[in-house]
Amino acid sequence: MIEALGLGKDFGAVRALDGLDLDVGEAEFFGFLGPNGAGKTTTVHILATLLRPTRGSARIAGHDVVRESLAVRKSIGLVFQEPTLDRDLTVEENLRFAARLWDLPGGTRSAATRIDELLRQFGLSERRDSPVRSLSGGMRRAADIARGVLHRPRVLFLDEPTAGLDPRARRTLWQFIRDLRAASGMTVFLTTHYVEEAEPCDRVAVLDRGHLVAQGTPAELKRAAGAGSLEEVFLARTGRPLAEADAAAAPPGRER
Amino acid sequence: MARAVWGIVAREFVRFLRQRGRLVSSLARPFVWFVFAGAGFRAMFAGPPGLDYPRYMAPGLLGMVVLFGAFLAALSTVTDRDAGVLRMLLVAPVPRGAIALGKVLGATLLGTVQALAVALILLPAARLSVTPGGAVLALAAVVLTSLAAGAVGLVLAATIRSIENFAGVMNFAIFPMLFLCGAFYPVRNLAAPLRALAYLNPLAYGVDLLKHALLAPWSAAGYGGELAVGFDFAALAVFAGLGLAAATPLLAREDGVTRAAFPGERR
Repeated sequence: MIEALGLGKDFGAVRALDGLDLDVGEAEFFGFLGPNGAGKTTTVHILATLLRPTRGSARIAGHDVVRESLAVRKSIGLVFQEPTLDRDLTVEENLRFAARLWDLPGGTRSAATRIDELLRQFGLSERRDSPVRSLSGGMRRAADIARGVLHRPRVLFLDEPTAGLDPRARRTLWQFIRDLRAASGMTVFLTTHYVEEAEPCDRVAVLDRGHLVAQGTPAELKRAAGAGSLEEVFLARTGRPLAEADAAAAPPGRER
Repeated sequence: MARAVWGIVAREFVRFLRQRGRLVSSLARPFVWFVFAGAGFRAMFAGPPGLDYPRYMAPGLLGMVVLFGAFLAALSTVTDRDAGVLRMLLVAPVPRGAIALGKVLGATLLGTVQALAVALILLPAARLSVTPGGAVLALAAVVLTSLAAGAVGLVLAATIRSIENFAGVMNFAIFPMLFLCGAFYPVRNLAAPLRALAYLNPLAYGVDLLKHALLAPWSAAGYGGELAVGFDFAALAVFAGLGLAAATPLLAREDGVTRAAFPGERR
Protein backbone atom coordinates (compact mmCIF):
# COMPACT_ATOMS: atom_id res chain seq x y z
CA MET A 1 0.00 0.00 0.00
CA ILE A 2 2.95 2.31 0.77
CA GLU A 3 6.21 1.69 -1.07
CA ALA A 4 9.27 3.92 -0.82
CA LEU A 5 12.59 3.36 -2.54
CA GLY A 6 15.71 5.28 -1.58
CA LEU A 7 13.59 8.23 -0.49
CA GLY A 8 15.58 11.33 0.52
CA LYS A 9 14.98 14.98 1.18
CA ASP A 10 17.37 17.91 1.63
CA PHE A 11 16.41 21.30 3.02
CA GLY A 12 19.23 23.49 1.78
CA ALA A 13 22.38 21.88 3.12
CA VAL A 14 20.48 19.86 5.73
CA ARG A 15 19.95 16.22 4.82
CA ALA A 16 16.60 15.63 6.56
CA LEU A 17 15.99 12.16 5.17
CA ASP A 18 18.21 9.69 3.32
CA GLY A 19 17.88 6.29 1.66
CA LEU A 20 14.50 5.36 3.13
CA ASP A 21 12.99 2.08 1.92
CA LEU A 22 9.50 1.17 3.10
CA ASP A 23 6.94 -1.45 2.16
CA VAL A 24 3.72 -1.21 4.13
CA GLY A 25 0.97 -3.71 3.30
CA GLU A 26 -2.81 -3.45 3.07
CA ALA A 27 -4.59 -3.00 6.42
CA GLU A 28 -1.25 -2.96 8.22
CA PHE A 29 -0.77 -0.86 11.36
CA PHE A 30 2.69 0.57 10.79
CA GLY A 31 4.61 2.53 13.40
CA PHE A 32 7.29 5.06 12.53
CA LEU A 33 9.29 5.61 15.69
CA GLY A 34 12.00 8.14 16.30
CA PRO A 35 12.96 11.25 18.23
CA ASN A 36 11.78 14.71 17.22
CA GLY A 37 13.70 15.92 14.20
CA ALA A 38 14.45 12.38 12.95
CA GLY A 39 12.59 13.04 9.66
CA LYS A 40 9.23 11.41 10.46
CA THR A 41 7.09 14.38 9.49
CA THR A 42 9.21 15.02 6.41
CA THR A 43 8.54 11.41 5.34
CA VAL A 44 4.80 11.77 5.89
CA HIS A 45 4.72 15.05 3.96
CA ILE A 46 6.56 13.47 1.02
CA LEU A 47 4.19 10.48 1.03
CA ALA A 48 1.24 12.89 1.16
CA THR A 49 2.58 14.85 -1.89
CA LEU A 50 3.13 18.07 0.09
CA LEU A 51 6.91 17.90 -0.34
CA ARG A 52 8.84 16.69 -3.37
CA PRO A 53 11.49 14.11 -2.61
CA THR A 54 15.07 15.16 -3.46
CA ARG A 55 16.01 11.52 -4.14
CA GLY A 56 14.18 8.24 -4.65
CA SER A 57 10.52 7.55 -5.29
CA ALA A 58 7.38 6.48 -3.49
CA ARG A 59 4.01 5.02 -4.39
CA ILE A 60 0.76 4.98 -2.44
CA ALA A 61 -1.89 2.46 -3.50
CA GLY A 62 0.11 2.12 -6.74
CA HIS A 63 0.21 5.87 -7.51
CA ASP A 64 3.48 7.78 -7.76
CA VAL A 65 3.62 10.61 -5.21
CA VAL A 66 5.24 13.05 -7.64
CA ARG A 67 3.56 12.26 -10.96
CA GLU A 68 0.11 11.24 -9.68
CA SER A 69 -0.27 13.53 -6.72
CA LEU A 70 -4.05 13.98 -7.09
CA ALA A 71 -4.68 10.22 -7.15
CA VAL A 72 -2.44 9.85 -4.10
CA ARG A 73 -4.28 12.60 -2.21
CA LYS A 74 -7.59 10.88 -3.05
CA SER A 75 -6.48 7.62 -1.46
CA ILE A 76 -4.98 9.03 1.72
CA GLY A 77 -6.16 10.74 4.86
CA LEU A 78 -3.65 12.84 6.80
CA VAL A 79 -3.95 14.10 10.33
CA PHE A 80 -1.19 16.65 10.78
CA GLN A 81 0.75 17.20 13.94
CA GLU A 82 -0.66 20.72 14.08
CA PRO A 83 -4.40 21.41 14.00
CA THR A 84 -5.96 22.18 10.63
CA LEU A 85 -9.54 23.04 11.50
CA ASP A 86 -10.98 26.54 11.15
CA ARG A 87 -11.39 27.63 14.77
CA ASP A 88 -14.09 30.16 13.91
CA LEU A 89 -16.36 27.55 12.32
CA THR A 90 -18.30 24.89 14.21
CA VAL A 91 -17.28 21.23 14.21
CA GLU A 92 -20.02 20.39 11.74
CA GLU A 93 -19.21 23.35 9.47
CA ASN A 94 -15.59 22.23 9.36
CA LEU A 95 -16.61 18.71 8.36
CA ARG A 96 -19.04 20.05 5.74
CA PHE A 97 -16.22 22.20 4.36
CA ALA A 98 -13.98 19.13 4.21
CA ALA A 99 -16.77 17.09 2.56
CA ARG A 100 -16.85 19.67 -0.26
CA LEU A 101 -13.06 19.69 -0.59
CA TRP A 102 -13.00 15.89 -0.80
CA ASP A 103 -15.98 15.91 -3.15
CA LEU A 104 -17.86 13.22 -1.21
CA PRO A 105 -19.84 11.07 -3.65
CA GLY A 106 -23.61 10.93 -3.70
CA GLY A 107 -24.23 14.61 -3.09
CA THR A 108 -24.62 16.49 0.14
CA ARG A 109 -27.18 14.11 1.63
CA SER A 110 -24.71 11.26 1.78
CA ALA A 111 -22.07 13.65 3.11
CA ALA A 112 -24.48 14.62 5.90
CA THR A 113 -25.02 10.95 6.81
CA ARG A 114 -21.30 10.34 6.91
CA ILE A 115 -20.74 13.44 9.09
CA ASP A 116 -23.45 12.29 11.55
CA GLU A 117 -21.84 8.87 11.72
CA LEU A 118 -18.37 10.29 12.41
CA LEU A 119 -19.62 12.77 15.01
CA ARG A 120 -21.23 9.85 16.86
CA GLN A 121 -18.17 7.66 16.47
CA PHE A 122 -15.84 10.35 17.86
CA GLY A 123 -18.17 11.43 20.68
CA LEU A 124 -18.72 14.88 19.16
CA SER A 125 -22.47 14.76 18.51
CA GLU A 126 -23.27 17.12 21.35
CA ARG A 127 -20.59 19.60 20.32
CA ARG A 128 -21.39 19.64 16.60
CA ASP A 129 -22.57 23.27 16.74
CA SER A 130 -19.73 24.52 18.96
CA PRO A 131 -16.97 26.59 17.39
CA VAL A 132 -13.78 24.55 17.26
CA ARG A 133 -11.97 27.13 19.40
CA SER A 134 -14.24 26.21 22.34
CA LEU A 135 -13.29 22.50 22.27
CA SER A 136 -10.72 20.80 24.50
CA GLY A 137 -7.45 19.67 22.94
CA GLY A 138 -8.56 16.04 22.84
CA MET A 139 -11.87 16.88 21.16
CA ARG A 140 -10.12 19.08 18.62
CA ARG A 141 -7.78 16.24 17.76
CA ALA A 142 -10.74 13.83 17.51
CA ALA A 143 -12.47 16.28 15.15
CA ASP A 144 -9.28 16.53 13.09
CA ILE A 145 -9.14 12.73 12.80
CA ALA A 146 -12.82 12.65 11.81
CA ARG A 147 -11.88 15.16 9.10
CA GLY A 148 -9.03 12.92 8.01
CA VAL A 149 -11.17 9.80 7.54
CA LEU A 150 -14.30 11.55 6.19
CA HIS A 151 -13.68 10.28 2.67
CA ARG A 152 -12.86 6.69 3.80
CA PRO A 153 -9.20 6.78 2.73
CA ARG A 154 -7.33 3.53 2.10
CA VAL A 155 -4.31 4.84 3.98
CA LEU A 156 -4.47 7.03 7.07
CA PHE A 157 -1.39 8.95 8.19
CA LEU A 158 -1.39 9.97 11.83
CA ASP A 159 1.50 12.33 12.58
CA GLU A 160 2.06 12.35 16.36
CA PRO A 161 -1.70 12.22 16.98
CA THR A 162 -1.48 12.36 20.75
CA ALA A 163 1.22 15.04 21.13
CA GLY A 164 0.25 17.57 23.73
CA LEU A 165 -2.74 15.61 25.06
CA ASP A 166 -3.26 14.51 28.67
CA PRO A 167 -3.25 10.74 29.41
CA ARG A 168 -7.03 10.50 29.57
CA ALA A 169 -7.57 12.23 26.22
CA ARG A 170 -4.78 10.06 24.82
CA ARG A 171 -6.54 6.86 25.92
CA THR A 172 -9.87 8.01 24.47
CA LEU A 173 -8.19 8.87 21.18
CA TRP A 174 -6.51 5.46 20.96
CA GLN A 175 -9.87 3.79 21.50
CA PHE A 176 -11.24 5.82 18.56
CA ILE A 177 -8.31 4.78 16.38
CA ARG A 178 -8.68 1.09 17.33
CA ASP A 179 -12.42 1.18 16.53
CA LEU A 180 -11.69 2.92 13.26
CA ARG A 181 -9.18 0.27 12.20
CA ALA A 182 -11.49 -2.56 13.19
CA ALA A 183 -14.42 -1.07 11.29
CA SER A 184 -12.63 0.06 8.12
CA GLY A 185 -9.59 -2.17 7.62
CA MET A 186 -7.58 0.82 6.46
CA THR A 187 -3.80 0.95 6.49
CA VAL A 188 -2.59 3.17 9.32
CA PHE A 189 0.82 4.85 9.25
CA LEU A 190 1.59 6.26 12.67
CA THR A 191 4.53 8.47 13.58
CA THR A 192 5.35 8.79 17.23
CA HIS A 193 8.17 9.34 19.64
CA TYR A 194 6.34 7.48 22.40
CA VAL A 195 7.53 3.84 22.44
CA GLU A 196 4.40 2.61 24.18
CA GLU A 197 2.33 3.85 21.22
CA ALA A 198 4.45 1.83 18.79
CA GLU A 199 4.12 -1.43 20.78
CA PRO A 200 0.69 -2.46 19.41
CA CYS A 201 1.79 -1.85 15.79
CA ASP A 202 2.07 -4.80 13.36
CA ARG A 203 5.48 -3.52 12.29
CA VAL A 204 7.72 -0.71 13.39
CA ALA A 205 10.42 1.23 11.60
CA VAL A 206 12.91 3.12 13.74
CA LEU A 207 14.25 6.37 12.31
CA ASP A 208 17.16 8.40 13.62
CA ARG A 209 18.69 11.53 12.03
CA GLY A 210 17.07 10.81 8.68
CA HIS A 211 18.18 7.18 8.52
CA LEU A 212 16.27 3.95 9.06
CA VAL A 213 18.07 2.08 11.84
CA ALA A 214 15.73 -0.90 12.29
CA GLN A 215 12.55 -2.36 10.86
CA GLY A 216 10.36 -5.34 11.81
CA THR A 217 7.64 -6.52 14.17
CA PRO A 218 8.10 -5.22 17.71
CA ALA A 219 8.90 -8.79 18.81
CA GLU A 220 11.53 -9.27 16.07
CA LEU A 221 13.18 -5.96 16.86
CA LYS A 222 13.40 -6.75 20.53
CA ARG A 223 14.73 -10.25 19.88
CA ALA A 224 17.38 -9.02 17.43
CA ALA A 225 18.58 -6.34 19.81
CA GLY A 226 18.32 -8.63 22.82
CA ALA A 227 16.13 -5.95 24.35
CA GLY A 228 13.00 -6.05 26.48
CA SER A 229 11.37 -2.94 25.04
CA LEU A 230 11.44 -0.74 21.94
CA GLU A 231 13.09 1.90 24.11
CA GLU A 232 16.05 -0.46 24.52
CA VAL A 233 15.97 -1.28 20.79
CA PHE A 234 16.55 2.39 20.06
CA LEU A 235 19.38 2.51 22.57
CA ALA A 236 21.00 -0.62 21.09
CA ARG A 237 20.78 0.69 17.52
CA THR A 238 21.87 4.29 18.05
CA GLY A 239 23.84 4.17 21.26
CA ARG A 240 21.58 6.83 22.77
CA PRO A 241 18.35 6.57 24.76
CA LEU A 242 15.30 7.79 22.82
CA ALA A 243 14.30 10.43 25.38
CA GLU A 244 17.78 11.94 25.28
CA ALA A 245 17.83 12.05 21.48
CA ASP A 246 14.47 13.72 21.70
CA ALA A 247 15.71 16.47 23.95
CA ALA A 248 18.80 17.01 21.80
CA ALA A 249 16.86 17.17 18.56
CA ALA A 250 14.23 19.61 19.74
CA PRO A 251 15.51 23.12 20.35
CA PRO A 252 13.09 25.06 22.53
CA GLY A 253 10.12 26.44 20.62
CA ARG A 254 10.27 24.05 17.69
CA GLU A 255 7.84 21.55 19.11
CA ARG A 256 4.70 22.42 20.94
CA MET B 1 -13.68 20.21 -8.29
CA ALA B 2 -16.55 22.66 -8.67
CA ARG B 3 -17.76 21.56 -5.24
CA ALA B 4 -14.35 22.25 -3.73
CA VAL B 5 -14.22 25.76 -5.23
CA TRP B 6 -17.73 26.42 -3.97
CA GLY B 7 -16.77 25.11 -0.52
CA ILE B 8 -13.87 27.57 -0.33
CA VAL B 9 -16.06 30.49 -1.44
CA ALA B 10 -18.82 29.57 1.03
CA ARG B 11 -16.35 29.38 3.90
CA GLU B 12 -15.01 32.86 3.11
CA PHE B 13 -18.53 34.25 3.15
CA VAL B 14 -19.55 32.58 6.41
CA ARG B 15 -16.37 33.82 8.10
CA PHE B 16 -17.02 37.34 6.87
CA LEU B 17 -20.60 37.38 8.19
CA ARG B 18 -19.38 36.07 11.53
CA GLN B 19 -16.75 38.76 12.02
CA ARG B 20 -18.97 41.63 13.09
CA GLY B 21 -16.12 44.09 13.55
CA ARG B 22 -14.85 43.51 10.03
CA LEU B 23 -18.39 43.90 8.67
CA VAL B 24 -19.06 47.19 10.47
CA SER B 25 -15.68 48.76 9.76
CA SER B 26 -15.73 47.81 6.09
CA LEU B 27 -19.14 49.42 5.65
CA ALA B 28 -18.38 52.50 7.77
CA ARG B 29 -14.92 53.29 6.33
CA PRO B 30 -16.02 54.89 3.03
CA PHE B 31 -18.52 57.12 4.84
CA VAL B 32 -15.85 58.38 7.21
CA TRP B 33 -13.82 59.40 4.15
CA PHE B 34 -16.92 60.75 2.42
CA VAL B 35 -17.76 63.03 5.34
CA PHE B 36 -14.31 64.16 6.46
CA ALA B 37 -12.23 64.18 3.27
CA GLY B 38 -15.28 65.43 1.41
CA ALA B 39 -15.76 68.34 3.81
CA GLY B 40 -12.07 69.25 3.82
CA PHE B 41 -11.37 69.15 0.10
CA ARG B 42 -14.70 70.53 -1.04
CA ALA B 43 -13.49 74.14 -0.77
CA MET B 44 -10.24 73.44 -2.66
CA PHE B 45 -11.89 71.57 -5.49
CA ALA B 46 -12.75 73.63 -8.57
CA GLY B 47 -14.74 71.14 -10.62
CA PRO B 48 -17.16 71.79 -13.45
CA PRO B 49 -20.71 72.97 -12.65
CA GLY B 50 -22.71 70.34 -10.79
CA LEU B 51 -19.69 68.33 -9.60
CA ASP B 52 -18.65 68.96 -6.01
CA TYR B 53 -15.83 67.04 -4.34
CA PRO B 54 -17.87 64.42 -2.44
CA ARG B 55 -19.61 63.58 -5.69
CA TYR B 56 -16.29 63.38 -7.56
CA MET B 57 -14.92 61.11 -4.87
CA ALA B 58 -17.86 58.62 -4.88
CA PRO B 59 -16.52 56.25 -7.61
CA GLY B 60 -13.12 56.23 -5.91
CA LEU B 61 -14.70 55.39 -2.57
CA LEU B 62 -16.43 52.39 -4.17
CA GLY B 63 -13.01 51.40 -5.48
CA MET B 64 -11.69 51.73 -1.95
CA VAL B 65 -14.42 49.40 -0.65
CA VAL B 66 -13.40 46.85 -3.29
CA LEU B 67 -9.74 47.24 -2.35
CA PHE B 68 -10.34 46.67 1.35
CA GLY B 69 -13.03 44.03 0.71
CA ALA B 70 -11.42 41.84 -1.93
CA PHE B 71 -7.74 42.52 -1.31
CA LEU B 72 -8.00 41.92 2.43
CA ALA B 73 -10.11 38.81 1.88
CA ALA B 74 -7.40 37.35 -0.33
CA LEU B 75 -4.79 38.37 2.22
CA SER B 76 -6.64 36.26 4.80
CA THR B 77 -4.84 33.33 3.19
CA VAL B 78 -1.91 34.34 5.40
CA THR B 79 -4.11 33.68 8.43
CA ASP B 80 -5.13 30.33 6.92
CA ARG B 81 -1.47 29.40 6.70
CA ASP B 82 -0.84 30.42 10.32
CA ALA B 83 -3.95 28.62 11.61
CA GLY B 84 -3.20 25.46 9.62
CA VAL B 85 -6.33 25.52 7.44
CA LEU B 86 -4.15 25.91 4.35
CA ARG B 87 -2.65 22.48 5.10
CA MET B 88 -6.11 20.96 4.94
CA LEU B 89 -6.62 22.62 1.55
CA LEU B 90 -3.27 21.40 0.25
CA VAL B 91 -3.81 17.78 1.24
CA ALA B 92 -7.30 17.68 -0.32
CA PRO B 93 -7.48 16.01 -3.75
CA VAL B 94 -7.92 19.36 -5.48
CA PRO B 95 -5.54 20.93 -8.01
CA ARG B 96 -3.63 23.93 -6.61
CA GLY B 97 -5.25 26.11 -9.27
CA ALA B 98 -8.72 25.31 -7.90
CA ILE B 99 -7.65 26.42 -4.42
CA ALA B 100 -6.35 29.71 -5.82
CA LEU B 101 -9.52 30.12 -7.87
CA GLY B 102 -11.73 29.47 -4.82
CA LYS B 103 -9.81 32.02 -2.78
CA VAL B 104 -10.01 34.65 -5.53
CA LEU B 105 -13.71 34.03 -6.20
CA GLY B 106 -14.39 34.30 -2.46
CA ALA B 107 -12.59 37.64 -2.45
CA THR B 108 -14.58 38.70 -5.52
CA LEU B 109 -17.84 37.87 -3.78
CA LEU B 110 -16.88 39.79 -0.63
CA GLY B 111 -15.61 42.83 -2.56
CA THR B 112 -18.75 42.93 -4.71
CA VAL B 113 -21.24 42.49 -1.86
CA GLN B 114 -19.58 45.22 0.22
CA ALA B 115 -19.33 47.64 -2.70
CA LEU B 116 -23.00 47.11 -3.55
CA ALA B 117 -24.09 47.63 0.06
CA VAL B 118 -22.07 50.86 0.28
CA ALA B 119 -23.27 52.08 -3.13
CA LEU B 120 -26.91 51.84 -2.04
CA ILE B 121 -26.29 54.54 0.57
CA LEU B 122 -23.31 56.40 -0.88
CA LEU B 123 -24.72 57.21 -4.31
CA PRO B 124 -27.96 58.79 -2.98
CA ALA B 125 -25.94 60.61 -0.30
CA ALA B 126 -23.70 62.07 -3.01
CA ARG B 127 -26.83 62.90 -5.03
CA LEU B 128 -25.44 61.05 -8.04
CA SER B 129 -28.13 59.90 -10.45
CA VAL B 130 -27.19 56.70 -12.25
CA THR B 131 -28.47 55.67 -15.65
CA PRO B 132 -29.40 51.99 -16.17
CA GLY B 133 -26.42 51.63 -18.50
CA GLY B 134 -24.19 53.27 -15.91
CA ALA B 135 -25.44 50.88 -13.23
CA VAL B 136 -24.65 47.83 -15.37
CA LEU B 137 -21.18 49.18 -16.17
CA ALA B 138 -20.57 50.00 -12.49
CA LEU B 139 -21.58 46.48 -11.45
CA ALA B 140 -19.30 44.92 -14.05
CA ALA B 141 -16.51 47.24 -12.90
CA VAL B 142 -16.98 46.26 -9.25
CA VAL B 143 -16.98 42.51 -10.03
CA LEU B 144 -13.94 42.63 -12.30
CA THR B 145 -12.00 44.97 -10.01
CA SER B 146 -12.72 42.66 -7.07
CA LEU B 147 -11.46 39.74 -9.13
CA ALA B 148 -8.24 41.55 -10.07
CA ALA B 149 -7.66 42.91 -6.54
CA GLY B 150 -8.33 39.45 -5.10
CA ALA B 151 -5.85 37.81 -7.47
CA VAL B 152 -3.12 40.36 -6.74
CA GLY B 153 -3.87 40.11 -3.00
CA LEU B 154 -3.49 36.33 -3.18
CA VAL B 155 -0.06 36.64 -4.78
CA LEU B 156 0.98 38.91 -1.93
CA ALA B 157 -0.55 36.56 0.67
CA ALA B 158 1.21 33.56 -0.81
CA THR B 159 4.51 35.47 -0.74
CA ILE B 160 4.55 36.83 2.80
CA ARG B 161 5.09 34.38 5.57
CA SER B 162 3.23 35.70 8.57
CA ILE B 163 0.67 38.24 9.69
CA GLU B 164 3.48 40.20 11.31
CA ASN B 165 4.32 41.56 7.86
CA PHE B 166 0.83 42.93 7.67
CA ALA B 167 1.67 46.50 8.68
CA GLY B 168 4.21 46.53 5.87
CA VAL B 169 1.53 45.42 3.48
CA MET B 170 -0.74 48.26 4.59
CA ASN B 171 2.00 50.85 4.13
CA PHE B 172 3.60 49.56 0.96
CA ALA B 173 0.63 48.04 -0.89
CA ILE B 174 -2.76 49.27 0.28
CA PHE B 175 -2.02 52.98 0.76
CA PRO B 176 -0.06 53.42 -2.49
CA MET B 177 -2.79 51.54 -4.35
CA LEU B 178 -5.41 53.77 -2.77
CA PHE B 179 -3.65 57.04 -3.53
CA LEU B 180 -2.55 56.04 -7.01
CA CYS B 181 -5.91 54.89 -8.31
CA GLY B 182 -7.53 58.17 -9.22
CA ALA B 183 -9.96 58.04 -6.31
CA PHE B 184 -9.01 61.42 -4.88
CA TYR B 185 -7.47 63.22 -7.87
CA PRO B 186 -7.30 62.48 -11.60
CA VAL B 187 -4.43 60.20 -12.61
CA ARG B 188 -3.66 62.44 -15.59
CA ASN B 189 -2.63 65.25 -13.19
CA LEU B 190 0.09 63.13 -11.59
CA ALA B 191 3.77 63.58 -12.45
CA ALA B 192 4.97 61.07 -15.07
CA PRO B 193 6.75 58.62 -12.71
CA LEU B 194 3.75 58.42 -10.39
CA ARG B 195 1.44 58.11 -13.36
CA ALA B 196 3.49 55.16 -14.58
CA LEU B 197 3.13 53.57 -11.14
CA ALA B 198 -0.61 54.21 -11.22
CA TYR B 199 -0.89 52.22 -14.42
CA LEU B 200 0.68 49.24 -12.63
CA ASN B 201 -2.14 49.43 -10.11
CA PRO B 202 -5.19 47.28 -10.94
CA LEU B 203 -7.39 49.56 -8.86
CA ALA B 204 -6.66 52.49 -11.20
CA TYR B 205 -8.44 50.69 -14.06
CA GLY B 206 -11.35 49.78 -11.79
CA VAL B 207 -11.82 53.35 -10.57
CA ASP B 208 -11.49 54.58 -14.16
CA LEU B 209 -14.35 52.27 -15.14
CA LEU B 210 -16.43 53.46 -12.19
CA LYS B 211 -15.88 57.06 -13.30
CA HIS B 212 -17.06 56.10 -16.79
CA ALA B 213 -20.15 54.61 -15.17
CA LEU B 214 -20.95 57.30 -12.61
CA LEU B 215 -19.37 60.59 -13.75
CA ALA B 216 -20.31 60.44 -17.45
CA PRO B 217 -21.96 63.91 -17.46
CA TRP B 218 -18.61 65.48 -16.53
CA SER B 219 -16.33 63.45 -18.77
CA ALA B 220 -16.26 66.20 -21.41
CA ALA B 221 -14.91 68.51 -18.71
CA GLY B 222 -12.14 65.98 -17.97
CA TYR B 223 -13.48 64.51 -14.72
CA GLY B 224 -14.83 61.19 -16.02
CA GLY B 225 -12.95 58.10 -17.13
CA GLU B 226 -9.59 58.77 -18.79
CA LEU B 227 -8.94 55.46 -20.58
CA ALA B 228 -11.12 53.55 -23.03
CA VAL B 229 -13.67 51.27 -21.32
CA GLY B 230 -12.45 48.24 -23.30
CA PHE B 231 -8.86 48.95 -22.28
CA ASP B 232 -9.85 49.12 -18.58
CA PHE B 233 -11.63 45.77 -18.85
CA ALA B 234 -8.69 44.19 -20.65
CA ALA B 235 -6.20 45.49 -18.08
CA LEU B 236 -8.28 44.14 -15.17
CA ALA B 237 -8.61 40.77 -16.89
CA VAL B 238 -4.82 40.62 -17.36
CA PHE B 239 -4.23 41.39 -13.66
CA ALA B 240 -6.74 38.69 -12.67
CA GLY B 241 -5.21 36.09 -15.00
CA LEU B 242 -1.59 36.85 -14.14
CA GLY B 243 -2.39 36.96 -10.43
CA LEU B 244 -4.10 33.56 -10.50
CA ALA B 245 -1.28 32.03 -12.53
CA ALA B 246 1.38 33.43 -10.18
CA ALA B 247 -0.44 32.57 -6.95
CA THR B 248 -1.09 28.92 -7.83
CA PRO B 249 2.48 27.60 -7.50
CA LEU B 250 3.26 30.00 -4.64
CA LEU B 251 0.44 28.61 -2.50
CA ALA B 252 2.05 25.18 -2.26
CA ARG B 253 5.58 26.43 -1.54
CA GLU B 254 7.34 23.87 0.58
CA ASP B 255 8.36 26.26 3.32
CA GLY B 256 4.71 27.09 3.82
CA VAL B 257 3.74 23.46 4.30
CA THR B 258 6.21 22.11 6.77
CA ARG B 259 8.18 23.62 9.58
CA ALA B 260 10.98 21.21 8.77
CA ALA B 261 11.64 23.25 5.62
CA PHE B 262 12.76 26.27 7.57
CA PRO B 263 14.46 25.01 10.70
CA GLY B 264 15.43 27.59 13.25
CA GLU B 265 12.58 29.89 12.43
CA ARG B 266 10.59 30.91 15.46
CA ARG B 267 6.93 29.95 15.34
